[in-house]
Amino acid sequence: MIIENLIAAFQAVFELKTLAFMIVGVTAGLIAGAIPGFTIAMAVVLTLPFTFGMPTEQGLATMLAVFVGGLSGGLMSAMLTGIPGTPSSVATTFDGFPMARKGRPGLALGVGVWSSFWGGIISAVLLVALAPQLARLGLEFGPWDYFALVAFALTITASLAGENMLKGLIAGAFGLLVATIGEDDINGIARLNFGTEALRQGFAFLPVLIGLFAFSQLLSDVQDREKALKPLMEKGAKAVRVEHLHAITEVFKRARILVQSALIGLFTGILPGAGSSISNILAYDQAKKTSKTPERFGTGISDGVVASEAANNATAGGALIMMMALGIPGDIVTAIMLGALLIHDVVPSPTFIGDQPVLAYSIFVAFFLAHFMMIGMQAFCLRLFVLVTRVPMFMLASVILAYCAIGVFALNNVVFDIWTLFWFGVLGYVMRVLGFPLAPMILGVVLGDIAEVNLSRAWTISNDLTIFLTRPWSLFFIVVAAFSAVFPWYQKWQGRRKWTLVFAPLLSMAVSVPLFMMPGLFRPALGAVLLVLGAYLLWRRWRGGWELPPPPEHRLME
Amino acid sequence: MGRVNRDVYIALILFVIWGIFFWQTLLVKDMGYATIGSGVWPQVILVALFLLTGGYLFQSLRGGPDEAVDNGGFRGWLGRYRNALWCYVLFFLFLFTLDYLGMLIGGILFVFLALTVLGGWNPRRLGINAAVAVVSISVMWGIFTFGLRVMLPAGEILNVY
Repeated sequence: MIIENLIAAFQAVFELKTLAFMIVGVTAGLIAGAIPGFTIAMAVVLTLPFTFGMPTEQGLATMLAVFVGGLSGGLMSAMLTGIPGTPSSVATTFDGFPMARKGRPGLALGVGVWSSFWGGIISAVLLVALAPQLARLGLEFGPWDYFALVAFALTITASLAGENMLKGLIAGAFGLLVATIGEDDINGIARLNFGTEALRQGFAFLPVLIGLFAFSQLLSDVQDREKALKPLMEKGAKAVRVEHLHAITEVFKRARILVQSALIGLFTGILPGAGSSISNILAYDQAKKTSKTPERFGTGISDGVVASEAANNATAGGALIMMMALGIPGDIVTAIMLGALLIHDVVPSPTFIGDQPVLAYSIFVAFFLAHFMMIGMQAFCLRLFVLVTRVPMFMLASVILAYCAIGVFALNNVVFDIWTLFWFGVLGYVMRVLGFPLAPMILGVVLGDIAEVNLSRAWTISNDLTIFLTRPWSLFFIVVAAFSAVFPWYQKWQGRRKWTLVFAPLLSMAVSVPLFMMPGLFRPALGAVLLVLGAYLLWRRWRGGWELPPPPEHRLME
Repeated sequence: MGRVNRDVYIALILFVIWGIFFWQTLLVKDMGYATIGSGVWPQVILVALFLLTGGYLFQSLRGGPDEAVDNGGFRGWLGRYRNALWCYVLFFLFLFTLDYLGMLIGGILFVFLALTVLGGWNPRRLGINAAVAVVSISVMWGIFTFGLRVMLPAGEILNVY
């Protein structure tokens, strides 16, 4: 059965048209990722309208290609100019740029590209292995657990998204509210439409997403009048020859860092709301801490580049695991892909892999294949990137704004959607200016319906709210959500307040409670381990006289 | 009463917005057959929003007043957000005239005017802007119309169907 599905998936992905679209997608992703200010999510969002008329497998393969290309594209700009093309390449600049400046740009690019490749491949293998397992876990979920999962996803996104947790939570809740506008999915009653027929249908997901995210991003990019007039790169980048053979040797010599960083990226991607912008810095930090020569980090060594680039590509696999197994997006890009699946009448859920095996395996195959295409297209894209760096931002922004309007119209052939794009573009820009993060709001819009449907189901079965605390998975997500809500304050006061000493032990012990409630042997045993670990950490702190450790050297904030 | 910071004003405006939405939820019809009424979930969200905004207001009041900075008043504000405001105005006009001008002409005009406003209008620049607008929008229009078979708004002036 698996072999048959795999063959069908290969046939779908290895169609000439699909391959052609994927090559174009990887190229577009590489270029988009290389342009500072033009995020991967924006590139994927702008690809969406092209995929409406495609078969689902083809559309998703194209978007995945753009995603993979974008994750790797950021390193071009990071290494050649010192400016990360995307937030997922911030840590790449720490060693990539110095390495290039020392006269080894070809090696720097090669190490980056091959680290991205292997990080992505490791993540793809684990995606194939873990997604079905996580989906099996998801079958244990009832509506209470799903609702709690959505609350957890929004809370953790809010805690990671910006400096002000409350603003993040307000944005997330507002996203949930926006999703309620129009006819209610359960009863068909119009609500919050202010009596207007136009709002009766509610807002289509794509115009809201593009308006909030892409439209406002473009306007932020041209806000500074002087910067908007300048080319993307003042001095202009120069195309270099990538030293592939030498780079491959360098990467394999650092296999431990490669695997460690890929795993960090994968598990960061699984966390809702935490994307490659966090994983690359986390992985770099860990690579430095576990290195025998940490003082060399930042001087232009391959270790730093391997850590950052392996992690950021691996994050995509983790985010896809969550999306495919549970129907919860792991990051903004998978939120967009979830939207694309919904447009194609496919609803990801724990039964998705079982119900739509060809589509699921097509995603796996496309994700693998995109990494090979990325290697192949990198050299060509480097030349394109050099050309693009000469274009002033205002020109790109004007053209892309028009493209947003055309693309959004293509969804439903309705002008109201372009008005939606406009108004949410205004809202998104105002939110950026006032310091409200957009990621929680976008997640709220995406997950709003899921939250409401599950709450309604839970209420229909029983109106006893204590079930949210007595079901193990629901309790697990509530506990983790509560701790993630406190996490920003923990980060801020770490090393300065005594209460931070009990955060990690309490989290460990609190999480053990729902694990004990779960069936089987493994999870209660894991709960026991976590309980003992938490107790041990508390005992250690007590023995140390509750003495505060020195504050961390730097903060890992977006 | 001393100066308050910007976040306090934002919190107060949010309270008004949530209030308006809450009033709307009271107008949602109750058909009587639903286990959970259609207005309940929005009300749950709005209660959460009220509480969160209350926390935000409290945090803002504790934060103290903003530092006094001479931002140049309204003119300074207009100058800072000039590019964004122009883009919004032009996009609004593009949408407003879409039924008459259509996507092709309206799009070309939008891009041309946006490039001119953002990039400057010396004669050479105008020529480049016009070329970029015509080429980029024509290519996009062509891809969507003939490649993806999307019926973009034709407008009154140019009806190509």
